Amino acid sequence: MGTGVLLYCFDTPEVKYHKLAERCVRHIKKYLKLDITVVTNMDTFKRFSHMGMINYKLVENKTGNVRPYRGKMIAWHNIERALAFEHSPYDTTILMDCDYFVFSDNLLELCHTEFDMLIHDKIHDLSCERVIAGKDESTLPLVWATVTLFRKTEKARTIFSMIKHVQKYYGHYRNLYRIKYQNYRNDYAFAIALHQLHLGEFIPTPMAMLGIDIDVIDYDGSGIKYRHGKQVNFIHGQDVHIMDKEWCDG
Amino acid sequence: MDIGDLKKNSDLNFEVAKAKKNALERLRSRQLMAYNERLFRADANTINLVSTLKQHSQDFYVLDANDNPCHVTDPEEFLNRLIERNQESLNTYHQLHKDLANKRAR
Repeated sequence: MGTGVLLYCFDTPEVKYHKLAERCVRHIKKYLKLDITVVTNMDTFKRFSHMGMINYKLVENKTGNVRPYRGKMIAWHNIERALAFEHSPYDTTILMDCDYFVFSDNLLELCHTEFDMLIHDKIHDLSCERVIAGKDESTLPLVWATVTLFRKTEKARTIFSMIKHVQKYYGHYRNLYRIKYQNYRNDYAFAIALHQLHLGEFIPTPMAMLGIDIDVIDYDGSGIKYRHGKQVNFIHGQDVHIMDKEWCDG
Repeated sequence: MDIGDLKKNSDLNFEVAKAKKNALERLRSRQLMAYNERLFRADANTINLVSTLKQHSQDFYVLDANDNPCHVTDPEEFLNRLIERNQESLNTYHQLHKDLANKRAR
């Protein structure tokens, strides 16, 4: 079924992920012009505004995981992502977080290359203050599952089988790799699977990110303005992972 | 110049340096280019390599950004695409660089 984008979106009591997904979809349509499938649950599905022709896959998601966000622990429904290989109807899938916003067609270029799985192993902190990637958080070469490209190949199937295995025995692998965080993170599950299998390739350029303490203050469809402390800056035409979860609420 | 002006100057230069760093990352992302199912950086190194190899042969192999071999059978077309992408990304960067220089001069 060609190339498409797969998004996972589950609202939590604290975060309206559907608002982020609505904006994310608008960007994908504008810049990538690809088919989109959103995996969601019934509660979140009911909150979506009409977004034109996109596919939905309704699932009953697991709950119980949490994440730190601006000084509190909040719910995080991120377990289903391990099933992306089964959920995706596409031959080539761009699996993307709904808080990743494309402002260019750069990802299309990656789709035209040969790979089983392609993922970021480096990030660029747009605040230039290295507030995101902490040191000594594990003994593992970390990857970022925010944007993952994969094909329906046997090797990709094997990677996802390994991710599911890691998820099931996450406590064991967390100890093995000395992972500092107690919650389940897909970044680590993907990293462990790739490390165990010696598979996957990496996107040569880092993923641009705005950290959790950076507020998005303005947006015009081709770029965003953000504030970090007293400093205001902007990016334009650059794909970005935004960790501020409230900027689409207004 | 008092310390207030120096601080203002320093803040501005810090902002400009950050904007430049971010713009360079954007440039590098934009320079990624698919060719023959392989991924290349349309940077000076790749352009020089392809240009040099092209002078010796019309059919050769190069390593892509992930160290996979790529068979180049039409170096002219490959080189043109590399140069086009390189100049497109540099042109955008040049515009921003000019804006930053103006900001500094103000």
